[in-house]
Amino acid sequence: MTFQVGIILLVMVAAYAVAKAKKLSVELSIFAAALAGGIAGAFVKTPPIADLPRQFIEGSFPYLDVMLLFSTATIFMAIISESGGVNYVVRGTIRLFHNKRLIALFILMIIVLIPGALTGAGSVSLLVVGAPVAMALKLLGISQKRVAAMMFIWAGLSAAAPPVNIWAMILCAGTAIPYVGFEFTLGIPVLLLGTFTLFVLGWKKEAAADVQTALRNMPEAPKGMTWWRVILPFLVFFGLIVASRVWPFALPIFGLPLEFVIAAVVALLVSPHKIKILTLSRDTMKRLLPLLATMIVVGMLQQIMTATGVRGLLSFVVISTPLILLYVLLAVIIPFSEGVLTYGAAAILGIPLVWFFDSIGLHATVAIAGLSLLWPLGDGLPPTALIGRLSVMVSEYKGSYWSFIRTAWLPWLVITIVGILMVVYSAKLEFLVRWSM
Amino acid sequence: MSLIMILYYIISAYIAAMVIWNFLHEKKNANDMILYLLILVPLLLRILRIK
Repeated sequence: MTFQVGIILLVMVAAYAVAKAKKLSVELSIFAAALAGGIAGAFVKTPPIADLPRQFIEGSFPYLDVMLLFSTATIFMAIISESGGVNYVVRGTIRLFHNKRLIALFILMIIVLIPGALTGAGSVSLLVVGAPVAMALKLLGISQKRVAAMMFIWAGLSAAAPPVNIWAMILCAGTAIPYVGFEFTLGIPVLLLGTFTLFVLGWKKEAAADVQTALRNMPEAPKGMTWWRVILPFLVFFGLIVASRVWPFALPIFGLPLEFVIAAVVALLVSPHKIKILTLSRDTMKRLLPLLATMIVVGMLQQIMTATGVRGLLSFVVISTPLILLYVLLAVIIPFSEGVLTYGAAAILGIPLVWFFDSIGLHATVAIAGLSLLWPLGDGLPPTALIGRLSVMVSEYKGSYWSFIRTAWLPWLVITIVGILMVVYSAKLEFLVRWSM
Repeated sequence: MSLIMILYYIISAYIAAMVIWNFLHEKKNANDMILYLLILVPLLLRILRIK
């Protein structure tokens, strides 16, 4: 039986490798692996060939709610950006805190963290606020290479930050653990690690522009934009979240996608100029295509791996690995799996890992939070390197890709250590989950 | 069906409409066309309430 399942796994790996060699996208390569695995499994009737279409369709469903969340959150952030809110806030930060450099850097970090935290995608942070923030960082006297490195680490942390962490959502959906208790469990490490990155990469100052030159070089904010127009949609969004916690029996459960839609409507209404919502929505969906498709194909792959027994085989490998070795290997296998499979890595490697950690008495929620600090690092590794490539793009860094990754070595190392320690000492850190409830 | 459920169907339909629009206007990139079709599978089945 193990031999058969091993062959199916090899077929899946080969299909993925061939698809990548044929220069297909990561999403289609994962789909090819699922298809090949399903067909290989059909030879030994796991699953029977007639069942394959049902398996694929069922597999497309587990992350439908995550897709809705992705789409609504990104449309909300796109409206904020299109209304000029992002440029207004970045310009305001430079104008007010140009001489208080560390405060300015901290606010810029928060600006990068917010879109990723709300959408679960670091790439959205870079696409929505990346260019103006990178420009502001350069005007504050940070070299292009360091700007690229800071943007990469901050965008990665933004994806891990609460309330929306896609890796944690995938792991929770796959292990039947409720997606609750992550606010402080993820929020505190993300803020501390982001601030550490700020000091490591942002402390050294090169020639900075004076405030007038800086403001002249930055994109203009539209006429009529004010602080309250920027803040109100966020107040509505966070207000709905807080209200549902404070009055759980008096309010209906809206769910995050609907809360984003309500906040988006408010953002549209308070925008100082008219926004073409249909065009903006279509463009946003086009930009989100790889992320949404990843959700679908990961669900299908997960379904096929379950039906063929490959998932069980991988779980067996995980629980057979000596514990100390497993902890050490996390530093390598988690980022590399992200580089190859993007979010699919959480479903394929993460789920057996969390089952195993749970079974040996570790706290599953804290362990998931620790693992999800490690995955974003893989977004700087090939073949995908999604956040890494976008960081280079928004910072207009012209040097070699690996030299900018090397610049981020210290934050990378510290994030890795923190993530692994959170897994190892998850039972002792259980109070973070209690604080979040 | 509760009001919130209906709103979620409307959100799904809106997103599906945007995806269909993009699919119909995508003339060159076969990779993207396949991805649009994959995304549409759960959205359309949910809107049509097919289990």
